[in-house]
Amino acid sequence: MSDEPKVRAVGEGRIVNSAFGLLAWIVGLVFFFPVFWMVLNSFKSEQDANTSPKLFFHPTLDRYRDVTKSTTGLLSFADAFANSAVVVLLSTAIVMALAIPAAYALAIRPVAKWRDVLFFFISTKFLPVVASILPIWILARNLHLLNTRQSLIILYTAINLPLAVWMLRSFFREVPRELIEAAEIDGASLRGQLTSIILPIAAPGIAATALLCVIFAWNEFFYAVQLNPVKGSTVPIWVTTNISTRGDFLAKLSAASVLACIPVVLAGWIAQKRMIRGLAMGAIK
Amino acid sequence: MNATTLRRPLPRYALSESWRRRLPLLPALLFTIALTQVPFVMSIYYSLTDWHVVPPGPREFVGLDNYNKLFSDHFFGQAVWTSVKLTVVPVLGSLVLGAAFALLLDRRFFGRGIVRTLLITPFLLMPVVVGLIWKNQMFDTLYGVLNWGIDKLGFTPVEWVSRYPTWSIALVLIWQWTPFMMLILLAGLQSMPSDVIEAAKVDGATPWGIFRQLTLSHLRPYMELGILLGTIYLIQVYDLIAVMTGGGPGSTNVPYFVFQRSIGGGWEFGRASSYSIVVVLASIVIATVALRVLSNLLKGEEAA
Amino acid sequence: MRRFLRLWSAAALLAVVGAIAACGGGGGSSSNSSSAASSGTPAQGKGGSINVAIVDNPQMKDIAALTPKLFTAQSGIKVNYTVLDEGTLRQVTTRDVAAGGRQFDVAMIGPYEAPQFGKDGNLVDLTPLATADSAYNVSDLIPAVRSALSADGKLYASPFYGESSFLMYRKDVLKKAGLTMPAKPSWDQVADIARKVNSSQMAGICLRGKPGWGDLGASFTTVLNTFGGTWWSAKPDGSVDKAQINTPAFKQALQFYVNLVHDAGEKNAANDSFNECLSQYKDGKVAMWYDATVAAGLLEASDSPVKGKNGYAAAPVEKTPASGWLWSWALAIPKTSSKQDLAWKYVSWATGPQYLKEAGAQISGGWAAIPPGTRKSTYEIPQYKKAAKAFANQTLASIAAAPINNPGTTKRPGLPGVQYVGIPQFQDVGNQCTQQFSAVMAGRTSVDAAVKNCQDIAAQVGS
Repeated sequence: MSDEPKVRAVGEGRIVNSAFGLLAWIVGLVFFFPVFWMVLNSFKSEQDANTSPKLFFHPTLDRYRDVTKSTTGLLSFADAFANSAVVVLLSTAIVMALAIPAAYALAIRPVAKWRDVLFFFISTKFLPVVASILPIWILARNLHLLNTRQSLIILYTAINLPLAVWMLRSFFREVPRELIEAAEIDGASLRGQLTSIILPIAAPGIAATALLCVIFAWNEFFYAVQLNPVKGSTVPIWVTTNISTRGDFLAKLSAASVLACIPVVLAGWIAQKRMIRGLAMGAIK
Repeated sequence: MNATTLRRPLPRYALSESWRRRLPLLPALLFTIALTQVPFVMSIYYSLTDWHVVPPGPREFVGLDNYNKLFSDHFFGQAVWTSVKLTVVPVLGSLVLGAAFALLLDRRFFGRGIVRTLLITPFLLMPVVVGLIWKNQMFDTLYGVLNWGIDKLGFTPVEWVSRYPTWSIALVLIWQWTPFMMLILLAGLQSMPSDVIEAAKVDGATPWGIFRQLTLSHLRPYMELGILLGTIYLIQVYDLIAVMTGGGPGSTNVPYFVFQRSIGGGWEFGRASSYSIVVVLASIVIATVALRVLSNLLKGEEAA
Repeated sequence: MRRFLRLWSAAALLAVVGAIAACGGGGGSSSNSSSAASSGTPAQGKGGSINVAIVDNPQMKDIAALTPKLFTAQSGIKVNYTVLDEGTLRQVTTRDVAAGGRQFDVAMIGPYEAPQFGKDGNLVDLTPLATADSAYNVSDLIPAVRSALSADGKLYASPFYGESSFLMYRKDVLKKAGLTMPAKPSWDQVADIARKVNSSQMAGICLRGKPGWGDLGASFTTVLNTFGGTWWSAKPDGSVDKAQINTPAFKQALQFYVNLVHDAGEKNAANDSFNECLSQYKDGKVAMWYDATVAAGLLEASDSPVKGKNGYAAAPVEKTPASGWLWSWALAIPKTSSKQDLAWKYVSWATGPQYLKEAGAQISGGWAAIPPGTRKSTYEIPQYKKAAKAFANQTLASIAAAPINNPGTTKRPGLPGVQYVGIPQFQDVGNQCTQQFSAVMAGRTSVDAAVKNCQDIAAQVGS
């Protein structure tokens, strides 16, 4: 689309737009600075990282070598990564599979007591994690689920489901009623309605929800370390194996964190592509 | 919506309309009930006992004894007040900042995707790592970047974490959770129908007018969603406190308080459970009130 | 629509079940080690694997790296290590040992837990195993360390690593100021020197201030002991009697500590523990440092900027002959382990004299980085004596002199123990009270208020 109508319709000049763009860049860089510093520290020696801030130093990849060194009997980055990937992807897939119909039943063709149902979902998150760990651990032990991937898949699904239901419901409510009704008059089934109308319109919301579920599951540490300290350990556990109480560790921790967050950065990048403005309204056939 | 307008013939055992509406909800609902209510009931049971793991002892039923002790524990009261501060400030702060970022990012400019990624990264790090980065790299009195800058400007360095624990933690939480708010609001902005805006512009509305009338009112339910979800998550924060300050007046909030009573060293699961149940009950009350206030969140069109 | 829903529900359920089933195999085998976990690949036909939980200090990481070559290859026993930071390790091992977790065959604990868990009957008594094992050489253990890990004469955990506390100082800085440090200084002398060398560029002394029974709690309790104070008084049978926070001796000790930090201590002391003081000392930002003996190894490491510039004096005292603390990371075998014989084979190797002789040549830190403070024979190894010349004798003397059975001037509960009170409630009381004391150091509350709060907390224990 050409620039001219956009300029007139938006009512502001290209200069103003560029100014905002510049502001966005500045804001982004400032906000990102602590992370930038962490990345910088990951290339320093421990001596350099634990002293006054240094922008110029002798960079080294040794910290990355230190943390990815694979020793038999110790949790390696590869194993932790595999466990995390399986757990996060599966739990997020299950969450979306359960939450999308649930959101439909709460937003588009609401059940009678939808307010209560929503409240119930959110109330499951009121119990502090540090308290619920005990019954959960006991249950997991008795069901022989300790140190397995299943335990975390089930648990992460349970903790992300309320978030997904609430968010997807809000986004599904955006779908104009006329479109739904038109589709029903056309005889579309639930699946048809979903795929042809709801999902495309709510695509930015679905992407945001899935991304949040992935982030929460990927970085979850407490349940993971309490339930799976021996096997099925995830990336957050691996990251914290670099924290020592008798010796400097900041550079190693920074290197480990950089590696640990690359997958979620990628997930974020992919999700952003989906979060671009959805179909224009007039495009329904 | 009338079932008879469907062209497909109805199956023999036709479900009533209400059951047809319930069915998509059931898998999620049943799953959640099974996985959350069992631990909850167990917690209630433990809260009525004097169970402590170290030293090991018989688990005896003591009724409401734990609850009595709780309400006379003035440290619990302090923890509640700290929780309030460490929830309200970060929620509002990250909401305002997240909204500002979302609006900035809603335009098209060079490298928008990169800036968006930069702005999300604080949320992608583990809370423990975030705490350690801020404590050692940013806030540290001698070696932190902030004090290095302050020193260069000629002022005396500030002992951020030890003198202002609440504000330091709140700042880190705002930094960490702004992307969360931003994501929700950005998705909300992106789902705003552009033809309505185009129509308004054709009608001659000013950008500020569009913003106030259309954008803001469209965003309102998303802001309320952000407040609700953000509060739920921020109330539970405790590992950041463990890493940054190790607790203490001004930084011990209720989850950290419960943590200390249970696996953080107290090993008194009976008492810790009773604190948690009180937290749940209080949260239910607060959430009920809040949801009435955040009326836009639970506005629904009447079922057709 | 209904047909779709039925199909969909079935599909979703199937997917969930299928995923769980599929992951059953994956979660079990592909995690911590490359080969199948349950049946090891034995070198000599014997086999098995054990799960060991350790803390992530450098010496522990070293032995984990050397285990395949030096242990698994000989014994055929595969070791799966779980490395955790100290706080998390304590959470997981306590729950495992005391609440029957059955996840670990060997757990790394300290002298705070060992006597308590041993008396509670949760740990295997290692004494018969140790005395029967001639290679283990139980009489080689430093007596203080062995006592600290025992209850009623029975050894419940085998020490892998031992430390006491002492005073480290920059000889060059003190010399320039015309001051000398006696070999066994008093706290008054140390405080005096600290105030004299204190400047805006270099603080006089680095003291811990971070909340935590093992952080500020350890450092402060040794001061408290030698000032004649105690956390609780004891009944004749040794159990807890009354909280003694609100007493002149306690207040005096606390006031002394706070004043010293205020006048000559490092900046931001309220957040500092071992690592923070280590960085500052190596950077030349503090002239003295009172902390664990193991710090000496780091200060004299080849890449340390202060190598060769340090003197080491005994932990400062006031009213007692010695005040250094005693801590040890030791391996214990929970009674719930199903592989106790394999576990002992591992413990015997890991904490035996042979590993110490072999490790020095193979670890990256060299001879000075082998696990210190557990055995007398360590301090006879020629290469170690040479590499650790600056601090080995002082370390051994500090550990041997640690007053674990009589740390203060009055009778107290929870013995043996110097820098902690060996009762289960001390973790929580210590954490909460040190939070108060740390706030005093940060200038956010007063000594009196902190003492009053701590008295309330501590009074909940005992009579």
